[in-house]
Amino acid sequence: MHEFSMAIEVINLAQREAVKNKANSIQKITIEVGDLSGVDADAFESALGLLVKDSILDQALVTLIRTPGLGRCNSCNDEFEMNHRMATCPKCQCFPSEISGGEEFRVVSLTVA
Amino acid sequence: MCETCGCGESGEFRIHDLHHDHLPEHEHHHHDHEHHGDHNHHHDHHHEHDYEHSYTHEHDGVTHTHDHPDQKVINLNMDILSENNKLARLNRRFFEGRKVLCLNLVSSPGSGKTTILEKTIKALIPSRKIAVIEGDQQTLLDAERIEKSGAPAIQINTGSGCHLDARMVELAVQKLEIEYGSVLFIENVGNLVCPAMFDLGEFKRVVVISVTEGEDKPLKYPYMFQSSHLCLINKSDLLPYVDFDTEKTISYARSLNPKLEFILVSARTGEGMEQWYEWLEKQPFGSAQGTTLGFAQDKT
Repeated sequence: MHEFSMAIEVINLAQREAVKNKANSIQKITIEVGDLSGVDADAFESALGLLVKDSILDQALVTLIRTPGLGRCNSCNDEFEMNHRMATCPKCQCFPSEISGGEEFRVVSLTVA
Repeated sequence: MCETCGCGESGEFRIHDLHHDHLPEHEHHHHDHEHHGDHNHHHDHHHEHDYEHSYTHEHDGVTHTHDHPDQKVINLNMDILSENNKLARLNRRFFEGRKVLCLNLVSSPGSGKTTILEKTIKALIPSRKIAVIEGDQQTLLDAERIEKSGAPAIQINTGSGCHLDARMVELAVQKLEIEYGSVLFIENVGNLVCPAMFDLGEFKRVVVISVTEGEDKPLKYPYMFQSSHLCLINKSDLLPYVDFDTEKTISYARSLNPKLEFILVSARTGEGMEQWYEWLEKQPFGSAQGTTLGFAQDKT
């Protein structure tokens, strides 16, 4: 449910950047959503789709980049792909000592005119 | 969402000061809703699912960047929660200045957060000053319970919202008299999912679970357990009647967050509560240095 709040944050952030850059419109926005960011990318995308109307992002092309989750094994130190928070190392069945990727949730770039 | 009529109050939240607000049964003002014509919502909103799309393209081995004269690409790389995190840092600084210990209490509904607070207030006041921010979707019931126990409380009603954010806390703090050296408890909306993402400016996050819940809660809601510092396992008086395996819960939670501390309590009988009060007094009042929420906090 917090995906709606996140979508509002994105619109507010875009609005602030548009003002800062004296832009009239935003043509493109690229957003990175990590698989372990705690944000459901599909729900977020739907929320943004509903909320952009009459906002600065109304006409913007939205690109979502999905970043896979990565963890470093607590035992063998290998990096392994995590498609959820509880994923364990395929070799050792250990939990990761650190999450090395997939927690990103950010606006990568904006194209303004 | 408004309970009486079902209409959403999108983005609206209310902060109720028990002494200045009179909350009628239903104080929601009904506006004529504008629905932009005929409900035929059309969105010119394009989606692309490129996994690696950038504005730098390669054609025949030559890389070039698109540069349209009237367009400008701004490389932001900005955390979407950066605004919330900025406000949270300001809240934290404010609490530090007043030597306040700010704790964010999170749990699923019905784990006993409010009862724990009532008992804590009765036990620690007047030797320790306490103030409480209560978060619920609706009603002033929790703030009223807290005030009856003897601590000033302010209620945030999130309306349709599922969590508190740093801005709500900032506004609530302006209305609440927080004395120097207080403990400020923020009782978050009962929800183990969304509140995990939002730093409120707390020094420590306390997750409450009760023995009537499944011992697999930490596995089901890993984000919350990863971002918390202390886990209170409440309703220990009911342990003889339920199949809750305390050790298993602790081992599940520690596999996710090795630093998580645990205290088994019963707010009803008082068992374990002394340990919780000792934990509170050990915390660094007014110094949030080293506060790291295990997850989702701005790492800059």
